[in-house]
Amino acid sequence: MSASTLLETKALNKRFGGVVAAEDIDFAVGEGEMRCLIGPNGAGKSTLFAMLGGFQRSDSGKIMVFGEDMTRRQPFYRVQRGVGLTFQTNRAYHELTVQENLATPRPARAGADRDKAAERYRYALSAFELDPEDHTRAGALSHDKLQWLEIAMVLAGYPRLVMLDEPTAGMSTEETARTAEVLKHLNASGLTVLVVEHDMAFVKEVAESVTVLHQGRIFAEGSVEEITSSEEVKSIYLGKA
Amino acid sequence: MRGTLRLIGGDADIGRTPIFWIGFAIALTFFLLYPTQVSSFRASNVAYYLLNVPMGLGMALLWGYCGVLSFGHVAYFGIAGYLYGIIAGNMAGNSWGPLVGVGGGLLGCALVAAVFGYFVFYARVQKWIIPILTLVFTLLLETFLGQTAGYQWRVGTVLLGGYNGMTGIPWFQLGGFVFEGYSFYYLCLAVVVFCYFGLRMLANSRYGRVIVAMREDELRTEMLGYDTRARQCAVFVLSAMLAGLSGLLYVQWGNYITPSQVGLLQAALPVVWAAVGGRTSLLAVVIATIALNWLTYTLSSQGNQYAMVIIGGLLVVTMMFFPRGIVVMLAEKLSRRRPAESNQGLRQA
Repeated sequence: MSASTLLETKALNKRFGGVVAAEDIDFAVGEGEMRCLIGPNGAGKSTLFAMLGGFQRSDSGKIMVFGEDMTRRQPFYRVQRGVGLTFQTNRAYHELTVQENLATPRPARAGADRDKAAERYRYALSAFELDPEDHTRAGALSHDKLQWLEIAMVLAGYPRLVMLDEPTAGMSTEETARTAEVLKHLNASGLTVLVVEHDMAFVKEVAESVTVLHQGRIFAEGSVEEITSSEEVKSIYLGKA
Repeated sequence: MRGTLRLIGGDADIGRTPIFWIGFAIALTFFLLYPTQVSSFRASNVAYYLLNVPMGLGMALLWGYCGVLSFGHVAYFGIAGYLYGIIAGNMAGNSWGPLVGVGGGLLGCALVAAVFGYFVFYARVQKWIIPILTLVFTLLLETFLGQTAGYQWRVGTVLLGGYNGMTGIPWFQLGGFVFEGYSFYYLCLAVVVFCYFGLRMLANSRYGRVIVAMREDELRTEMLGYDTRARQCAVFVLSAMLAGLSGLLYVQWGNYITPSQVGLLQAALPVVWAAVGGRTSLLAVVIATIALNWLTYTLSSQGNQYAMVIIGGLLVVTMMFFPRGIVVMLAEKLSRRRPAESNQGLRQA
């Protein structure tokens, strides 16, 4: 693992009965990188994401985060070391107020530089037009605001690495564009971002590099241009590979 | 001081308006003056209603705020009660014996709850299984205590007594001052007020916010950096100690305890108090605990053999028509606020 690699997996495997969800996944994300993880349905993206978050145990292999072996570490420990994560289905506290949602996270013990992280959090609140004193019930917010609220909650934990599972799912074009703009700004400030996404327009907009998963294996990896122009990648999305 | 007031007045419970404080002052005055107007027998009955409040509050904290239902919290009521009886009974004649008994009772039920909680929460047992496990635990305890008749089942000089129970348990005393009769009544009242405001402060603290967050979404809370296993275990232990506190007061109230105190019928009662009042509000559970204990006693003392059937019926009616609890829904109606706009304590768990 190089000094600038924040996240790395080695020969990660996961099976559900006879179904291979992840097979020998070697994967690395460098510090300050904006990486998108794509793949057709059933490619193993969510399983990989769950293993990186710690709420799904791998059968074998290793997960290194910030140079530390986190393979058997509990999810909360990873967060305390500076990992932030949003789920595929929005999991802000819908029954609590916006204020309560934003007040619940606490800064990671070994998170990012406090001043920078606090600046990122304030920027996200402003960009997403979220008021930390808003006493509206979160469940009453629009879909996009709920998605943004969960991203802001993660940033309130002062992470060094954020992993977002389909952050723009269900958003309009304008809302997706705003999300992309915010993520690019956060990444430019030094935050490492890993995004699982289906929306290729969004991927082209934000990603520096892309990893393609297919049938539980890494199918391709490269720059956005390389991946989007690859006939093989196009074919797996169209079901030919 | 301002911090304390802020924690008491936070939005984690109903009762923050001047009307609440006026009502609280009236209720406290009533309970303070009550023994001066009635016989010691009647005061003793009300002391019984009051001594159950800590257990009800523990249930509200665990079930209503943390989202974990224990159907066997009376086990800790019994453990604390029996331990007090054993320790204080063996130290009979020593004026500090009862105080040691209280410490031993609370420590004992905290240790048992910590071991139980460790296996349940660290194994990440699914929430719906926990009521069954806790109920099994208390029924096993009842069965064990029931077969402790005979002289071979004694600890020091104290007999466990089988289904006849442990008798002759000493009153609580501090040095030379014995809490019996009216003084015991005031001890119960002080414990209720202390527990209520203490838990209100906890619920309004950052720790309390995380407790509610765990109820709403455990994984999300863990993915915000909190060890939810440890925190759920801590809440479980605290609520067990509150049940233990009720057990300690109970054995001092009647000077005896029997295995039926940890049986199925008793196990259901804290759940009924919390459900009928409204488990997401500490105040509602205090009111429901006192009111339902009064109702049970009144029905039983009038020769009604169906007191528990009526209490059970009340639970069914509450679940069907007042799912958030009668007191909570009345409070919502009085404050003319929709649930969506009300505080976290009022919302459906």
